[in-house]
Amino acid sequence: MKRLITWGFIFLFVVLLLKSCIKQDIEPVYTPQKYSNENLDNIKYPLKNKNITIDGVDYLQSQAPVGEYGGELILSTIGEGPKTFNPCNTKDATSSSMAGLLYDGLLTTHPLTGEVIPLLAKSFSAKGNEYTLNLRKGLKWSDGKPITVDDVLYTYWEVVFKGLGNTATRDAMLINGKLPKLYKVDDYTVKFVTPQPFAPFLRLLSYPIVPKHYFKPVSDKGESAFNAFLSPNTPPSEIVSNGAFKLKEYVAAQRVVFERNSDYYKINLENKKLPYLNRLVYLIVGDTNNEILKFEAKETDVLSLRGANVARYKQRESESDYKIYNLGADTGTLFMVINLNNRKNSEGNWNVALHKQKWFRDRNFREAIDWAVDRDGMVRNIAHGVAKPLFTSESLNSIYLNKKLQPHPKDLNVARKKLEESGFIIKDGVLYDLSGKRVEFDLLTNAGALERESIGVMIKQDLEDLGMKVNFKPIEFNTLVNKLANTCDWDMAIIALTGSPLEPHDGKNVWKSNGPLHLFNQRKPNQKYDDRLAWEKELDDIIEAGAVKLNFNERKQIYDKYQEIIYKEKPIIYLYSPIRITAVRKRLKNIFPTSLSGVVYNVDEIWIDKKGEVK
Amino acid sequence: MEFFRFVLKRFLQTIPLLIIVSLISFFIIRLSPIDPLAELRLNPSISQETLDKEIKRLNLDKPIGIQYLSWAKSFVKGDLGYTSSGEKVSVKLKERIPNTLLLTLVVIFMTWSVGVPLGIFSAIRKESPFDRMITVLASVGMAIPSFFFAILMLIFAVKTGWFPVGGLTSYNFNEMSFIAKFVDISKHLVLPSLVLFTISLSGLQRQMRANMLEVLDSDYVKFARAKGLSEGKVIFKHALRNAVNPMITLLGFEFAGLLSGAALTEYVFQYPGLGRLILEAVMKSDINLVMASLMMGTIMLILGNLLADILLMLTDPRVRQEAK
Repeated sequence: MKRLITWGFIFLFVVLLLKSCIKQDIEPVYTPQKYSNENLDNIKYPLKNKNITIDGVDYLQSQAPVGEYGGELILSTIGEGPKTFNPCNTKDATSSSMAGLLYDGLLTTHPLTGEVIPLLAKSFSAKGNEYTLNLRKGLKWSDGKPITVDDVLYTYWEVVFKGLGNTATRDAMLINGKLPKLYKVDDYTVKFVTPQPFAPFLRLLSYPIVPKHYFKPVSDKGESAFNAFLSPNTPPSEIVSNGAFKLKEYVAAQRVVFERNSDYYKINLENKKLPYLNRLVYLIVGDTNNEILKFEAKETDVLSLRGANVARYKQRESESDYKIYNLGADTGTLFMVINLNNRKNSEGNWNVALHKQKWFRDRNFREAIDWAVDRDGMVRNIAHGVAKPLFTSESLNSIYLNKKLQPHPKDLNVARKKLEESGFIIKDGVLYDLSGKRVEFDLLTNAGALERESIGVMIKQDLEDLGMKVNFKPIEFNTLVNKLANTCDWDMAIIALTGSPLEPHDGKNVWKSNGPLHLFNQRKPNQKYDDRLAWEKELDDIIEAGAVKLNFNERKQIYDKYQEIIYKEKPIIYLYSPIRITAVRKRLKNIFPTSLSGVVYNVDEIWIDKKGEVK
Repeated sequence: MEFFRFVLKRFLQTIPLLIIVSLISFFIIRLSPIDPLAELRLNPSISQETLDKEIKRLNLDKPIGIQYLSWAKSFVKGDLGYTSSGEKVSVKLKERIPNTLLLTLVVIFMTWSVGVPLGIFSAIRKESPFDRMITVLASVGMAIPSFFFAILMLIFAVKTGWFPVGGLTSYNFNEMSFIAKFVDISKHLVLPSLVLFTISLSGLQRQMRANMLEVLDSDYVKFARAKGLSEGKVIFKHALRNAVNPMITLLGFEFAGLLSGAALTEYVFQYPGLGRLILEAVMKSDINLVMASLMMGTIMLILGNLLADILLMLTDPRVRQEAK
């Protein structure tokens, strides 16, 4: 009898356990369209900032509604926190965004339109290859010393041009191996002269300006001293900066606290000094799960949402203290690249087997794959509906996006027709080429990236509908990079690159025939590229031409053409871009999210409505 | 004299051990397919020049043997080198060690002050309902995985709002009064130490109970009882002293775990200790940081054992005899 009861209890326990597994706490999302509606359209953005001179000081006036002073904004940053506060030596996103709070550059990007606008500079003008910038008068570093033209000259002459710290800006400024020249015109004017007209140059002037009297003693000691300068453990009171916020405290693996710079040069409509916030706190969290928990426990104010979480947060939005903003598609481009390589390696073997070369270099074949891939299915099943199908090489929020290139759904009939045109034959659901060889190839991606692995499985199934045999192999990231960049012995691969939504020239390493990341037809650094395809040559010309055209509309036309070529030739089949969705506490005011800059880019204008505070 | 010879001998024995441990770990990390520069390689805006510079800075252009030797050379000199992001390893470790020590010492204090008496008590009241209940609870404590328990605790913290979600201090910690600071840290410590406490308490309690039972069953305890000594005297003067010896060895291990024992729990609770630092370092193949922490762990283990042996020598005449 006793045993019976015991077994009864165990049975009941197991049944209850199984029951709890069956019930999902989230309703599955079948309507991705719900999230792709842009809700940024009805936001009224404050107009361009104005310059106002009061008592000889050139202030920058924000046009955002006037708010209340005080309070703190608490954000989170995933990872290990900043590695340095030296704005010239940041190599990761966290460090550069935090150092960016401390140091302003001459110019900046308009958060909505993406055009270049003045920040620390009062105004600028560009004519041909000459760029003249006027500085603001009466500005001070946080230690009270004036910001002068010498600081600007020092920053460019002795830091950027000499290649100290992170050399990305210097690399980007090199035009045919030559650096631009910088002249001092008078005490408040500088002039840059580039060797030839170079469109990406202006945007590079957002490089932070650093105080000469504080940096020069260190930079004179050489590169290693400069790299170690302003490490996170530097006593905050020592740091001389000019940004809207000053560093207050850094606690390893816990938080970074900034306090307002009470002498910042930005003012509000009542001519009172910004920023409104007393403090800006970044909590350093290890992973997304912890970030979510912190937001739910009301320890943080802003949370960027991913995948399945979106549905849950959206459901609870109406009875919560946060509002959800859909920022539209991200800059990331996730794609499948096809290897068009037709060269031999150093041992005399083909990088890609000869019969495969014929397939991969055949546009019909690539188009067939493009038509067979079910992007909508991926968005629905893999990205939980929080993504948009992607067909262009520029990301969907790029200001250079060619909107004429239309998306298309999966259509196996079109795909089959393309294959037939090139003489492929489908027999008993198996695809053979002209010579009777079965179409079979490898598809690689990096192991451990769950999203890409699921995409690989879906693509494999999609292409099997065409009778292709796809051997999907997730391999180690390094092995994959090595294959892509060096050995070139692969068929197809799923990877992602981060692009810039503002400057298509940044992609030159990918699109130029001899670029170090010319994935789909990789050549060795010293290899000739006289074997390039007609459209590869066209791309080379476009990249060159786009860099020297200065007018936005003319550039746009050029880059429209480049996107058209990729869209037509399909060496890379773009899949989808994730959509960024952010939850923001309602008590934060002056929130004007944009697709380009996110939510908290205007941290100097954000204020906290204490009446709306929910305790 | 004997004592110092013993210590010296043990000390010399550790040197080959350290070399072997460092060799194995260095090669395993370096041969693992994690490339510290993989992300840079796939960044379209990074030039080859920058990449080469990074490779040189991280010594990746040299053969692995040379890499090991140059690491070993500076390690012997007491220089732990720089992390892959250019910070001093010693500084990074120094930031974290006090936090980890705080957590582990609190936990050790709690487990020992509760576990040992509980073990003794349930040995004396063997098979009583109390003992059975403790046994069940101990089994539960041993069976529950620490990370899972930690996640449950985190959910508890979010749902109730009684405790902060991870971390060690609140963002406005520096403006608090001394008492408020104390309360703040305690509040942050409750959940992680509760998790670690539950997990290690059961082991300790079982161990103590078993030791005690064994001793209580021995002839001299029976003799002491037959002599008519009071039960308290029998237990505390005769049985306990002998039962405590294995616990000293255990204490040595606890010492070894001081810095590394709480890694998983630390990670779940985002506790700013060594565990999280080292895990992140391993993920990025940050060789100097990983090696430094591994060597530290090894040294702590050796020291812990040495400490336990010395303590045993002091408490147990039999061991003293053997050492001679």
